[in-house]
Amino acid sequence: MRARLAGMLMLGMIIICLAYFLRSLFTSTPEISSLGKFYLQNSYLGERSAGSPEVVTSILWDYRGLDTYFETAVLFLAIISAVSVFRNMEHREVGDGFTGITKTGIKLVAFVTFVTSASVAFHGHLTPGGGFQGGSILAAVSLLVIAGFSKGALEGNGITKDRALAIRTLGLAIITAVAFYPLLEGFNFMQNLPVYPVRIRGLLISGSLLLYNVAEFLAVGAGFTIIFLLLSLPEVRRE
Amino acid sequence: MRELPVFIVAFVLYIVVTGSMTLYDIITGVITGVTAALLFSKHLIKNPKKALNPCRWLSFLIYFIKYVTVIELRAHLDVMKRIITKETRPGIVKVPITVRDEYGRFLVANSITNTPGTVTVYMDDEYAYVNWISVETDDMEERRRKILEEFEKNAIKIFGGADE
Repeated sequence: MRARLAGMLMLGMIIICLAYFLRSLFTSTPEISSLGKFYLQNSYLGERSAGSPEVVTSILWDYRGLDTYFETAVLFLAIISAVSVFRNMEHREVGDGFTGITKTGIKLVAFVTFVTSASVAFHGHLTPGGGFQGGSILAAVSLLVIAGFSKGALEGNGITKDRALAIRTLGLAIITAVAFYPLLEGFNFMQNLPVYPVRIRGLLISGSLLLYNVAEFLAVGAGFTIIFLLLSLPEVRRE
Repeated sequence: MRELPVFIVAFVLYIVVTGSMTLYDIITGVITGVTAALLFSKHLIKNPKKALNPCRWLSFLIYFIKYVTVIELRAHLDVMKRIITKETRPGIVKVPITVRDEYGRFLVANSITNTPGTVTVYMDDEYAYVNWISVETDDMEERRRKILEEFEKNAIKIFGGADE
């Protein structure tokens, strides 16, 4: 009975929040800014436009085409590196691993990457980066260990699927708690100031931003690790 | 004890990556350093005394400076000369390697690869297999002298001798 009541309460809260954020869509007609008019004029309506009704695409591949082109090149480079790291993965058996050069290198790079990911996450409210970016870098550490050593090496060090799931859940729970807490204090959902302090003893934490970043860091890092563990194959024991 | 050197390196690295040293950076750096030490020290450090020895770090620094200036310059000039005169005779050669320490071997292999003209292709317990721009000699000992003797001497100075 109590569980059902809690469920109903949760659902009600979600609906109220959604309605609150979406009401502007239904109540007012959006005004087109001058920049928006310029884009519409030059991508769909104008004489020299490509006539594409999908304005976003015509900006991505036309006016901003060079940017998209090099973005694609960057992604391609990333894929090439991934392929080169995983090149020995087929039918891998215990003992077939990389040479000591690669393994030592991966240990050192994983260590440096781990420290960097924490710095990116902890300084999300001060410099570009943040929880998601830091978490993605953190997940690259587990991917590196899987590629260079094995899935078993990661699990043997305590990073199992269940533990990662627990860390991910902890991260999500912190985010939910930080988001809903202002409602209890009589403020809005996800409101930052004045519910959370800008500084603690003079240290700038920018209110809830630090909490969100750290929680997101854990949630994303552990979340991607789960995916990598699920997708990778264990080594085959040699007969 | 093994955790201490890893903590120090992680903390210094954190501050360098962050690029500032306010109280906030120091607090988060300590948190990161402790976590990194707990996760990585088992795999990174075998002998904490060696890792905490300042003489070894100093010789590492001296070697690094010499490597990026003198050794690299010498190798670059040699390859430039070979490009102009077309004096190349590339081939993969087997070179004996005596350093036993894991990081020593790593340093030697990467020193070879990073200097133009030579690339470590593979390494097993006793030999490094090096792609050499100009195979000059059939004599194994002479190859060792030409390709990696200097790297190996420094690696032993930094990471410890052949049978430590």
